[in-house]
Amino acid sequence: MRRYALEGIHVLDFSWVGVGPITTKYLADNGAEVIRVESLARPDILRLAPPWKDAKPGIDTSQFFASFNTSKRSITLDLGKPRARELVLKLLPWADIVAESFTPKALRKWELDYEHLRALKPDLIMLSTCMQGQTGPNALYPGFGQLMAALSGYYHISGYNPGEPPCPPYGAYTDFIAPRFAACALLAALDYRRRTGRGQYIDMSQYEAALHNLAPALVDYFASGRVAGPAGNHSERYAPHGAYRCADLDGHERWLALAVESEDEWRGMLAAMGNPPADSRFATMAARMENRAALDQFVGALVRERDADELTVALQAAGVAAYPVQNCVDIHRDDNLEAFGFWHWLDHKVTGPSPYEGLAYRMSRTPGELRAPGPALGQHNDEVFGEMLGLDAAEIARLKEERVIF
Amino acid sequence: MGSELLSGFRMLDLADEKGALGSKIFADMGADVIKVEPPQGCSTRRIPPFLDDLPDPDRSLYFIAYQAGKRSVTLNLGSPDGRALLEDLVRKSDFLLESFPVGYMESLGLGYDRLTELNPRIIHTSVTPFGDTGPGRNYKAADIVSWAAGGPMFLMGDEGRPPLEMALPQAGLHAGAEAAVASLLAHYSREIEGQGQRVVIDMQACVLWTLMNEQAMPILHGDYIRRTGMYYTATGTRRRLVYACKDGYISTVLAGGSGVGAISMKGLVEWMAARGFAADWMVAKDWTTWVPGILMKATEQDRDEIADLEERVQRFFNTMTKREIYAEALKRRILLAPVATAADIADDEQLKARNYFVRVERAAPGRTQRRGLGRAFEDRRRTAGPFARNRRDLGGAESRDEALRA
Repeated sequence: MRRYALEGIHVLDFSWVGVGPITTKYLADNGAEVIRVESLARPDILRLAPPWKDAKPGIDTSQFFASFNTSKRSITLDLGKPRARELVLKLLPWADIVAESFTPKALRKWELDYEHLRALKPDLIMLSTCMQGQTGPNALYPGFGQLMAALSGYYHISGYNPGEPPCPPYGAYTDFIAPRFAACALLAALDYRRRTGRGQYIDMSQYEAALHNLAPALVDYFASGRVAGPAGNHSERYAPHGAYRCADLDGHERWLALAVESEDEWRGMLAAMGNPPADSRFATMAARMENRAALDQFVGALVRERDADELTVALQAAGVAAYPVQNCVDIHRDDNLEAFGFWHWLDHKVTGPSPYEGLAYRMSRTPGELRAPGPALGQHNDEVFGEMLGLDAAEIARLKEERVIF
Repeated sequence: MGSELLSGFRMLDLADEKGALGSKIFADMGADVIKVEPPQGCSTRRIPPFLDDLPDPDRSLYFIAYQAGKRSVTLNLGSPDGRALLEDLVRKSDFLLESFPVGYMESLGLGYDRLTELNPRIIHTSVTPFGDTGPGRNYKAADIVSWAAGGPMFLMGDEGRPPLEMALPQAGLHAGAEAAVASLLAHYSREIEGQGQRVVIDMQACVLWTLMNEQAMPILHGDYIRRTGMYYTATGTRRRLVYACKDGYISTVLAGGSGVGAISMKGLVEWMAARGFAADWMVAKDWTTWVPGILMKATEQDRDEIADLEERVQRFFNTMTKREIYAEALKRRILLAPVATAADIADDEQLKARNYFVRVERAAPGRTQRRGLGRAFEDRRRTAGPFARNRRDLGGAESRDEALRA
């Protein structure tokens, strides 16, 4: 019986930063052998991005990189050199999947694009992921997830009120939408190849994938011409609905998120908050929707001196959806994440032991796991070029000297 | 012409908005997805906005957006006959996706143990708000509550004001897409070994995965990130992400660095200089090493330059519209994006060039044509979401046979 779902699958991964590496991480954490092909001339910018061990930048001190590249190996090649291309082609027969996120031009220049690779390996599955797709007028336009989040409409629907500047979602939001689409496409393509013997090329646009999380607003626009905008925490479905300030904890602000969808939940909420006197402005859902600003004040006053954790327990016991608004310290002491086994402590050879984001899914028969933290740059050069490709130590040394292998 | 990636496989979709995007991805890839709805219809039929603002089970644009390409049947799982029909469906299906409260399927006698008796190949994927084992396993979670629990809400909004959710709730979409990935991991293993498995999705963890590794900041840098409105502050320096323009906002990151960053800054400064908006120091600057507050902390001089630069850029963009700015940015390869609305996205040249939006026929009621969302895969086939009044009622033998037809 196989230990991992993707045992025996091999991935040659030229991608970098967010979408590509998170996609291949799904494969690597489930037993696929993934080799990141990196270049010192173009190091993955996540290697240079915080958070770093002891807040000190360094090529191998970023947990940002280490976290998105668990269970993978790293080799380094200067792809601009012909000898490097030869080594890539030697690895090609081994690979089931090639993933890359260069601009559409780069691989054609090196003759490592799908047409070239397919001629050598007809059943190859290849994933190209970039900002806006391989074709179209903006195919070559560079960017990153923060900008994609603005382009894909997320900045515009984020804020307190129309007319105020947006309060965007944190970071490169679309980098965390697209990988799930890319991983689905790769997994389905693997199974399709198993059934038919045919490989395929997957042109992944981060922009196009990201728009799926905006679909109702787009369909609404096409159907009615309505343009969704920022709405604070107001909902057309729940009232109250929002984040309400609770008592501080050790000098840190604490907020409680809650949402009430029915009269039962409303009564449950009032009971959990000490049964305040009835207020006709809030007697029905329609009235609460009508008087939302007053309702937010009312709920805000009820919880302001309360402990967010205790309120969560009381509200949930009363059948009301509620939870503290957690910061990045809170999530590390969250009993539910702990029970799910979310945090994985890994011992990185440079950054030492620290908790990594684990898997958001659990499989009963072939559970995935974080097998190792992201590799140091070129950590597996000797292993891959020596043991896998059979180059002897002298030749590897010469290639390093010629800066083919960094 | 439909996608063949998953053709021949069937998914029973009993999920609400916590799984809808996952089964949509399956439908987009060619799987036969059958929504199994309760007699009153799936709760996603009641999510606003509605076509022509008329609340109706067939007019939810949320439903239309995420249930496209699926078939629909109704089943009363409260009755023995309804459960027996579901058992029949399970025997003829490959996947079952649901998002019921933890323990509900077991209470019906339809827990994984029973499903696997009926069909050892079945992959049973459950989307849960807080996992299935922890103290919160029975907690309710509206979308905003998961957004709070996983961490991103705390990071969104202005200092001193409430944390924010986006106007279009996101947590369930992340969980649904994760369910698709994990189901396909199990699928690949099942197709080789013949055995299905149980998959549990933790929605809180899915949301946490959008944090861009900020979870590691407290451990490696000694503090957690606060929300800072339209500024990026992870390296201790406020860097502005959003600028007003004539008709809205644009987003850009003013930072150089080797490669695209320096090209972007040089392009922007040349453009500003041509219009008389650039300071001399900006024209003289070597942008290839200038990344303060992005990849490194800023010095006193950096801070002065940031302040002057951001102010001048704001004055410059005030003179133009989003469209004018983006058009020039594309030419000059400036890293920039409009804060796009649904209307901007619908009109985007790149999406048009790639035929992203696909017109979908709806037979009845209401208007006959809608545009659906396009592909993230190489798939052009779309049908609109199934209609409540066209649903097959599995109570009648004739329609039951039709629904069960291979």
